[in-house]
Amino acid sequence: MSASWKQLSLQILLLLVSCRHINTKTPGPTPPPLIPIDQLPTDVRSVTLKGESHTEKVELLNPVNLTLECTWTGNQDKLANITGLWRKDGEEVKNSNQTVPMENDQYNLKRVFSIVNEEDLGNYTCEFGSKAKIDFVLAAPQIGNVRDKPIVSYVGDFAVMTCKMEETKPEPSTWYWYKANGTDMEQIIAAEETLRYEIKNEGRNTKLVVSSLVETDRGLYFCGAVYAISTSMSHVELKVISFLEPLKPFVAIVIAVIVLVAIILLYEKSQSKKNSTAAENGTTDQTNTQTQGESNAPGESSSMRQRKV
Amino acid sequence: MTKLRPKAESQGEGPDGGYGWVLVGALFVSTSLVFGLMRSLGIFFVEFVQYFDESAQAISWISSTGLAAQQFFSPLGAALCNAYDTRWVVMTGGCLAALGLILASQATCLVHLYLTMGVISGLGWGLVFTPMVATVMANFTRRRTLVLGLAFSSIGLSSFAFNPLFQLLVELYTWRGALLILGGLSLNIVPCGALIGPQRRSKAPAKVVSESGVSCASFLQRASSYLELPLLFERPYITYTLAISLLNVGYFVPYFHLVAHSRQVGFSEYQAAFVMSAAGATDILGRIASGWFSDLGHFRLIHLLSVWTTLAGVFIMLLPVSSLSGSYAALMVISLLYGFCSGALTSLVFAVVPMIVGVERMMGALGLLQLIESGAGLLGAPLSGLLKDITGDYTASFMVAGGFVVLGTLTMVTLPHYFSRKDPPPPKSLSPEDPDKGLHAELEQMHSSPSDMNDLTGEVTNNRLPEDTYS
Repeated sequence: MSASWKQLSLQILLLLVSCRHINTKTPGPTPPPLIPIDQLPTDVRSVTLKGESHTEKVELLNPVNLTLECTWTGNQDKLANITGLWRKDGEEVKNSNQTVPMENDQYNLKRVFSIVNEEDLGNYTCEFGSKAKIDFVLAAPQIGNVRDKPIVSYVGDFAVMTCKMEETKPEPSTWYWYKANGTDMEQIIAAEETLRYEIKNEGRNTKLVVSSLVETDRGLYFCGAVYAISTSMSHVELKVISFLEPLKPFVAIVIAVIVLVAIILLYEKSQSKKNSTAAENGTTDQTNTQTQGESNAPGESSSMRQRKV
Repeated sequence: MTKLRPKAESQGEGPDGGYGWVLVGALFVSTSLVFGLMRSLGIFFVEFVQYFDESAQAISWISSTGLAAQQFFSPLGAALCNAYDTRWVVMTGGCLAALGLILASQATCLVHLYLTMGVISGLGWGLVFTPMVATVMANFTRRRTLVLGLAFSSIGLSSFAFNPLFQLLVELYTWRGALLILGGLSLNIVPCGALIGPQRRSKAPAKVVSESGVSCASFLQRASSYLELPLLFERPYITYTLAISLLNVGYFVPYFHLVAHSRQVGFSEYQAAFVMSAAGATDILGRIASGWFSDLGHFRLIHLLSVWTTLAGVFIMLLPVSSLSGSYAALMVISLLYGFCSGALTSLVFAVVPMIVGVERMMGALGLLQLIESGAGLLGAPLSGLLKDITGDYTASFMVAGGFVVLGTLTMVTLPHYFSRKDPPPPKSLSPEDPDKGLHAELEQMHSSPSDMNDLTGEVTNNRLPEDTYS
């Protein structure tokens, strides 16, 4: 009788929780599971340890009753009994301390965990005395290749930030975007909030388009891939610069070019002035130049002069 | 020092030294800012695809338009240089190229980019490249091919430098700021043009002096002479242009598809990219080495060109074969050899032109050549892409590309006097002072036995001393 009351109160509690307005300050408004714990799907993960430790990554999408099974072949001591222990994130799980006998030349530890929401995810460890342990890292699919270089755009222009879930990983049910505000306060960006933000969700990809950028738009943006169990986050940095920034090196180059051209033209002018005075005096110069060329018809040079446009 | 020089080169033989090397430096810089820049525009394409949300094919049309505009406006550039002063044409070209890039930094849609980066900058580049090449070629005779090889090596070297530089600029200022700065960099073409100095090439305009008045017929006649349109009716020029066009169809295919082919055969991204870089490195080597070797004078330039084009065609055809075995070393070796041959033939393609048409008509000839070969180049990439789509891999594309290159060589063989040991005299020019005698004599001296060469070297060295007193 008390079990069904417990169930009912749990369900009422869950109902109340889900009625809260979604404008929350904590990330990941994952819809709370309305399925009672007994009716969760089940899954099993077993690991056989040969050495001293091992880490197993477990990717979860939905709430599940997960059975974790550890098998250890033992070491040279071959004790008849050994203490077995479960930990979650380093802290001992209540009532998990037990004595494990050796059966068929191995030790077995098995426990069922209800993984329902984000708090249930984490690092589960089964320990055999202090001699061997296996880590199970329970997590929702993580977003790979996080872009470390910031997205740069200009004031008044628009910027596109994308997040992608790899093909090998399952598709999230939806995506959410957040902007870092202060140290770790985050806000959800809704598409209806302003005309400046636009979110395009296409299965594995999501795009956040921020238009008419202003200086204050710069900072860290977070995208969250929503799964039933939790939300995986990734971040993108946005930098907003004014058009004066590239203008500075540009103007510097233009000035350098103008100076260079001026030098060349002025030098030529001064040379031609020098030569026009020299040409009056030194006809010997001209005869020397003529022997340079393999053959030279004097008439040709007069046609050169004719060609001044 | 430099003012008396124009008299010496009015015959079309360059003094082969002194101020000519300054012009080579100017050509080096301007070529790197034209083609080196064009080759490194790939960095921007990723940004454009993201910003404008367009397909990669639509974005790639930007650089195709730029290249096509550069080649299309080459005859215009050549004609303007024939009509007016080269330096102002080049300086205007530099300003236009810079303007195109600066305007592109303000683009809000893809069409803006086509018009600015494509048409305007392409027009600017067209006004720069052919005139600068023709000017330098007019200033050198015996070291012509070496000088061209050195100048064109700038393309490979600058794309090594530009790729990381552009990447940095894009990261700091995004593509808009980077394009603005590129526009500023392109303005450096203007001092290169200023270095040309007034009236630095010989073009006998005697035939057009008689025209006066601004009637339509006289304008058309002048335009056609500036554009050197009569060249289109001469068999040697037509043959050569056809050969180079066929060459162009296949020549660029490895640049487009080698990386994709390597990835398809099964090599990693880095391995494929490294193959391309290695081919680029041997390309630079090939340009300089072939330029130096050609100027030694042991063989006719046209023969050397045929050798390099045949080898390049063969190696292109061998590229898919080498990767059949799956051996990375084989693919690398063939790519290195291909890079060397393709660089080697580049230096020679332009140097052969004055052999065929004479130095006075070189400017217009180069312009027309660029225009005609551009059509062929536009054909090559889509054709090879189509073959790949039909057959599923790149073997057919490379085979056909190599085939076109070899076909170009065969066409070259049909040039008149191909099999003679000495170059034929270039066609008689129409100017009253017959410069051909001088040119003919100079060519004979160039391609005679090496012992004669030493005499010539001695002569030039002696003649160089008075030059030095002016510098």
